Amino acid sequence: MIANILDGIVLGLQFGLLAAGLTLMYGLGGVLNLGYGQIAVTSAMAVAIAMDAGIPTLPAVAFGLLAGGLFGLILDLTLLRPVYRLRGEARVLLSLLLTLGVSFIVDGFLNWRIPLKALTLYISGGAVDILGVPMRRGSLVASAITLVAFTGLFIFFGRTSLGRAIRSVIEDEEGARLIGIDPKKMLRLILVLSGVLAGLVAVTRSMVAPVDTQSGLSITVFALIVTVVGGLGDVAGAFLAGIIMGIVNVIAADYIGSYISLIILLTAAAVTILIRPAGLLGVKE
Amino acid sequence: MLEVTGLSAGYQGKDVVHEVAFHVNQGEAVMIIGSNGAGKTTLFQALCGLLPPSSGKVLFEGKDITGVPAERIARLGIRFVSAARHLFPRMTVEEHLLLGAYPHKPDPGTMSLVLDLFPRLAERKRQRASTMSGGEQQMLAVGRALMSMPRLLVLDEPGTGLAPLLARAAYEALNVLRKRGLTVLVAEQQVPLAMAFCDRGYVLENGFIRLEGTTKQLAANPAVRSAYLGVT
Repeated sequence: MIANILDGIVLGLQFGLLAAGLTLMYGLGGVLNLGYGQIAVTSAMAVAIAMDAGIPTLPAVAFGLLAGGLFGLILDLTLLRPVYRLRGEARVLLSLLLTLGVSFIVDGFLNWRIPLKALTLYISGGAVDILGVPMRRGSLVASAITLVAFTGLFIFFGRTSLGRAIRSVIEDEEGARLIGIDPKKMLRLILVLSGVLAGLVAVTRSMVAPVDTQSGLSITVFALIVTVVGGLGDVAGAFLAGIIMGIVNVIAADYIGSYISLIILLTAAAVTILIRPAGLLGVKE
Repeated sequence: MLEVTGLSAGYQGKDVVHEVAFHVNQGEAVMIIGSNGAGKTTLFQALCGLLPPSSGKVLFEGKDITGVPAERIARLGIRFVSAARHLFPRMTVEEHLLLGAYPHKPDPGTMSLVLDLFPRLAERKRQRASTMSGGEQQMLAVGRALMSMPRLLVLDEPGTGLAPLLARAAYEALNVLRKRGLTVLVAEQQVPLAMAFCDRGYVLENGFIRLEGTTKQLAANPAVRSAYLGVT
């Protein structure tokens, strides 16, 4: 049981970071990015290609994160421009359709050009004993990186004036404009940031299991489920929901079977919507 | 300082305010009075960049700001405190005040001025905006606007939705700011409150400016007296 919980936390931290990126885009700009998993996969492939070309791991990872951020920036500058002209529900729907299209294009392109490529970052060294459970070193490094990323996000949003400005747009866009904050600039920043986060999740995931060209859809689905549970526009909620859903997923897979774990996750998300429509930490408007 | 000419604006192609003209001089307090639905909020939204005007011109310190988006107008030194307040529900009082100065570092002198003016905000620095009373939220909205040291403060119905005592307190705080040289433009349907505070005013009815004059002149006008001051 302890082993399951620890494995769940490892997985959940990554779920949480994915959801943080997705939820920020949605909370800030009403953009539901269904191509989010493909950004992660693109990052992973960029790292794999760079490493194949003989570039050492760290610069290759940096290149991959940059690719993720650039993907987000390009989306903001091109495909999302018509989306930004719409408001409310129409904006969510158009962003959903267009990014779904992006996900098909990316999947198709990768399967055509590099169908067999996968990223596996092997962290050398034996298992480490944690609470009597031998944990793979890759899992620990991945979790440590994810925790550092979350700490960075909490400091950025809680302590810096730019982070506060971004939150103010999530809270009340008109209020933010009235104090001189440009929501479009903040949204562009968030698209870049969430692209980098997607890349970071792909890289840390590859320390635990291979990330291949087919991984995009499942990454998006996990991110979406955790986002719903965590509440929209809430990084702390994403963190908490990620860990809970990670543990649920591992325990369900172990005791019932991995074929059913996704259904259990979806059920948990549906129950959350019924009980707490604004998410785990959400407050009623 | 602010000069508005021929301003028309509305929603879905239908104008709510028509050919409105008025001006505000440096250091003045000017009121736009009118009943509910006269077009005060629409006028202010067009002025502050939340609603693109359909025609007319807005000059601020000689610069044409007609149709400029709200975030840029805010940075030029006009701060608009909307009747809807537009606070950030999950953020604390302190965060609102810090954000008011964004992107600059908050000026310590301005911060202590705001906290002196509204001691309740000082007591509740760590409280979230959503958990505050209406009066406190109004103070916070004004305090946030003041943090940027605006040259012109535009207030939409600062006394509305507040108990009479709180509404008067809000205007008393504005009086303190006026004495420090702040220029204020205020829309109000509780006309006696605004009259005790402003130098000049305009009467807005069905989207048109019907009357203008000094507060004294307006207060002596029989039509204003019967419609807004309850004197028959």
